[in-house]
Amino acid sequence: MEKKDIKFQSDSRHIRESSSKILKDVESYGIGEKAAFEIKLCIEEAVRNAIVHGNKSNPKRQVRLSYWVKEGVLNIEIEDEGTGFNHELVKDPTKEENLLRNSGRGVHLIKKLMDSVEYNAKGNKISMAKKLK
Amino acid sequence: MAVRIDPKKGLTVCHIDGEIDINSSPAIKKSFDKLISQKTPKIVINLSKVTYVDSSGLATLVEILKNMRSYGGRMRIACMSPKIKSLFEITKLEKLFEILSDEETAISGF
Repeated sequence: MEKKDIKFQSDSRHIRESSSKILKDVESYGIGEKAAFEIKLCIEEAVRNAIVHGNKSNPKRQVRLSYWVKEGVLNIEIEDEGTGFNHELVKDPTKEENLLRNSGRGVHLIKKLMDSVEYNAKGNKISMAKKLK
Repeated sequence: MAVRIDPKKGLTVCHIDGEIDINSSPAIKKSFDKLISQKTPKIVINLSKVTYVDSSGLATLVEILKNMRSYGGRMRIACMSPKIKSLFEITKLEKLFEILSDEETAISGF
């Protein structure tokens, strides 16, 4: 599948719209139910982070979403217009002392459910990939 | 999303239907706020009809648990689908919650 680029404003309705659009576009690859669930979750977590934490829900700031399939792997890039963050400083939510805290869980889920996850140096763009089968 | 509250002998069973995510979390929290304000001692949350949970949904369940613990209340979660259970395993929330396979087991001995 050729690369597709979408730009949208920082509005939370785009969270579900983004995952629905991507999953519809990769439907023809015969994606399994479990993979679809995990991809949906990771897209929604990453888009939400871009809108809420990156762009601070400022409607004047945009989110850029790109995705493509190459050799059976779905690649997704999500970039916001914020100042970026250092993902290495996010506290490990699985540590005993952090279990009751409600931060870092979305980033952790993405890291565990996708096959590869990378951030750019500025920390305002996430690139993630997952095999479709 | 819908929350059905079913009082049983000595405990309350809450059935959540639909998705527990950023959109539905405020309404779910509101449904439980009343039970928490009444200091409901024991709550079983039945997730058999829950199809999706995101990190906001997990945070909501953690908040309910924290609020119940503040007055000595206890909560159990039952009937998770394997997909949703895997999220509790990945995030280690399985250590925080009492997770039971079915509602009957969750109720018995609670």
